[in-house]
Amino acid sequence: MANVTIDNVVKRYGAAEIMHGVNVDIDDGEFVVLVGPSGCGKSTLLRMIAGLEEISSGQIRIGGRVVNDVPPKERDIAMVFQSYALYPHKTVAENMGFPLKMAKRPQAEIDSKVGKAAQILDLSHLLKRYPKQLSGGQRQRVAMGRAIVRDPQVFLFDEPLSNLDAKLRVTMRVEIKELHQRLKTTIIYVTHDQIEAMTMADKIVVMRDGRVEQIGAPLDLYDRPQNVFVAGFIGSPAMNFIHGRIQSQGAALQFVAESGLVLPVPPGSAEEGRAVIYGIRPEDIEIGPGGIPVRVAVIEPMGAETQVFAKVGNDMIDAIVRQRIAARPGDELPFRIDVSKVHLFDRATEKRI
Amino acid sequence: MKRQKPWLSVLFWTLISFVTLFPIYWLFVISVKPTVDLFSTPEVILKSFYWQNYVDVLTDSTLRRYMMNSLIISTGNAFLVTTLGFLACYALSRFDLPGKESIFFWTITNRMAPPAVFLLPLFLLLTQVYRIGDFSLADTRIGMILVYCTFNLPFAIWTLRPTIDGIPKELDEAAFIDGASPWKIITEVIFPLARPGLAVTLILTWVFAWNEYLLAATLTNFNARTLTTGLSEYVTTTGTAWGVMAAISVITLIPALIVFSMVQRHIVAGLTFGAVKG
Repeated sequence: MANVTIDNVVKRYGAAEIMHGVNVDIDDGEFVVLVGPSGCGKSTLLRMIAGLEEISSGQIRIGGRVVNDVPPKERDIAMVFQSYALYPHKTVAENMGFPLKMAKRPQAEIDSKVGKAAQILDLSHLLKRYPKQLSGGQRQRVAMGRAIVRDPQVFLFDEPLSNLDAKLRVTMRVEIKELHQRLKTTIIYVTHDQIEAMTMADKIVVMRDGRVEQIGAPLDLYDRPQNVFVAGFIGSPAMNFIHGRIQSQGAALQFVAESGLVLPVPPGSAEEGRAVIYGIRPEDIEIGPGGIPVRVAVIEPMGAETQVFAKVGNDMIDAIVRQRIAARPGDELPFRIDVSKVHLFDRATEKRI
Repeated sequence: MKRQKPWLSVLFWTLISFVTLFPIYWLFVISVKPTVDLFSTPEVILKSFYWQNYVDVLTDSTLRRYMMNSLIISTGNAFLVTTLGFLACYALSRFDLPGKESIFFWTITNRMAPPAVFLLPLFLLLTQVYRIGDFSLADTRIGMILVYCTFNLPFAIWTLRPTIDGIPKELDEAAFIDGASPWKIITEVIFPLARPGLAVTLILTWVFAWNEYLLAATLTNFNARTLTTGLSEYVTTTGTAWGVMAAISVITLIPALIVFSMVQRHIVAGLTFGAVKG
């Protein structure tokens, strides 16, 4: 186990700078998820930690040791790839034992470690099979097994669940989390799926365009997103954003959207006249008496919940409620907003107010 | 989809097989007849076997030497070009070499000219340039192995490139992280996965060298003369020994057929390698 420090790391391809001074501190035994849309630099950062990409400037330290120029095999890390990267011509046992074979360990030690890892991952009965004879989930477990046998200081996962179907993804998510709780090894995990990030991480690093947008515990990011990007990225369905201004109504403040829609804001949240982006999560809207009347555009019943899309001027507001809705498109429904859950962002900087 | 008329397919392939195989059968017929019978009315069905042509060929020490030369030159050349082509393709596929696509194209350009164009330069190279004292590469097996590299190496690079490109780079990276050295990555990961493609390249380059006539006839005199050039020695001013020539041809065919049948499975796999995602 080891801590990992990413200190002002920059990545350039020729003249193009694609990572602009990234700083992340990862504690010993922590499960950190790097999340962001495609092209945000999360996989590049992971590959730099692994030693598969050079670092243009800055430092990466693993267990206090600067590893910028250390080859991957000496970094004491193990990586699980998106495509699993299993050797097709080797059996499960040979795949899992490969790192130990390369380290010239005695065969008895290889067999024993592979056996133990196979037991942890429930692969003991598959050791003589080839990767093509395994299901997606089993292949994923073999890839993890190959990482486990090395007993590394840090596990790196590069979108390991992307190739699995939705149901298997949930199962594997639980398995990886259980594995972390069991081994307590530092894990750095890359995904573009914010649900994976929220459910698995001790700490989430949200990235965009080669920059870190916010670092924090999953619920911190959910409750107090620092900017519009993080607010929109974390949470599913995504937060509603409405553009408008803060205006006073007597002693109180209110938000007036460009469409004319008036919404409540927490007292003292912003000064009068300020141009803001009003953010409210779909799950923080209720349907009930005293709400703002809106016209229903689409209703999506999902069984346990119902998602209601309402059109207000040019804005579409999305609410997700536990009750079943009998209304039809075109009907009016009262949307009640939980004022304590309102997020306000500056219109110009898109930063939280 | 259910085939409507299976007999049509059987008939078609029977016809194709007949057209393809009949010349080989006819060659065999000629090889087991005395010369005098060859000029009588042709008989498709063999009634007797005249083995003397084969006895003549196999007991002739010169021909045995030619056969050995052909085997050594073809096999040596096939292994050399496949090894070099494999390593070249690995470099072209995996490393960011400046202008690598131009290098790749450049390697194939010499196959675009007819081999006869290279005869004089190659003759001068072997007799004059690569010469130490009395020793020159002319009329040596090693000389012919190197000459065939000129034509077979570009071909090997061309055929192996898709095979190596088809092996995901993530496997190299996984092995690299697992602690494998570049050489270990090649031997433990890339080589086993490229085997079908390597087999195809090995066979096709072997066949090229085995069948080649023009270069061998020009660049060898006696020591490194191959079986194909040996054939021409039976066309003399006093006549042509058709029976013996046919026997040599049949003997020349046999190793190629054996090698093909041994690796046929690999050839089919190699030619379709990377076509379908596994």
